[in-house]
Amino acid sequence: MTVPIDLVLQIFIIVCAVASIVVKDLLSAAMILGAYSFFMCIMWAQMGAVDVAFTEASVSAGIGTILFVAAVMKTTRRSKD
Amino acid sequence: MIELVIAKYNYWIYVILMMIGFYAMIVKTNLVKKIIGMNIFQTAIILFYISTAYKMGGATLPIMTDAQAHGHEAVLVDGVINPLPHVLMLTAIVVMVATLGVALAIVIHIYRRYNTLNEDEILKVMK
Amino acid sequence: MKFFGFLITLLTGAVLIYGTLDMPAYGDPDSPASRHVSPRYIEMTEIETATPNMVTSILADYRGYDTMGETTVIFTAGMSCIFLLRKRKS
Repeated sequence: MTVPIDLVLQIFIIVCAVASIVVKDLLSAAMILGAYSFFMCIMWAQMGAVDVAFTEASVSAGIGTILFVAAVMKTTRRSKD
Repeated sequence: MIELVIAKYNYWIYVILMMIGFYAMIVKTNLVKKIIGMNIFQTAIILFYISTAYKMGGATLPIMTDAQAHGHEAVLVDGVINPLPHVLMLTAIVVMVATLGVALAIVIHIYRRYNTLNEDEILKVMK
Repeated sequence: MKFFGFLITLLTGAVLIYGTLDMPAYGDPDSPASRHVSPRYIEMTEIETATPNMVTSILADYRGYDTMGETTVIFTAGMSCIFLLRKRKS
């Protein structure tokens, strides 16, 4: 039995999304969100949208993660939920 | 039934992603967690739009080969993935990062004034 | 509150999954999205713009006003970040 690669990628994406919501530490949540963005980028390259994929890899996974880490460093790391 | 599942499971997974983001926006009380939920929500919508551009059965990337670019060979509509949703979603990704930056700036501003990120504590102090 | 939010989320998801039942199948070449506007772009982009990359020619040539408006959005976002994060003299 062969499993299609987009199903595998989608399962990884859902695991990353749930983990970034559930984890208590905000810095870990930002990092897991960066991993989520890179999985999304692979998903779009698999669908044939290469321009969107490298825009996502540079803009959302790069600058977005940097913005999150900067905001968490300026505020607090702890979260109650 | 099994054909329906094979044809539609992609859409259902996008709906599940959107539900994760929506749940985080409604229920979580930490403001950064709410912004993470908003990011997941927007990415799910963009993923849905990109998936409508995909064509099965031998379609390639929307970039011409050398022979097509010099006019020796015609460009077939069925042989190329639909490029229009890609363009619209490029705009949407950049707007997504702009909204993320403004939202995080507002969060930093709130933390400077109230010294907490929890929504319930902020509402209690405001009363 | 937690249960109420979960209920609203489930309701929205159920409505959206009901909506996907009428969508064209994944990867269908005859779906309305790939039959309406984009065939003209695909066929005429080499004649009208002489650009091999179709995404670039649509982004910067056919829909250039869209990209220009996007520049306004980014400028507004940057200005609001500066005004929110500056140190006030007090």
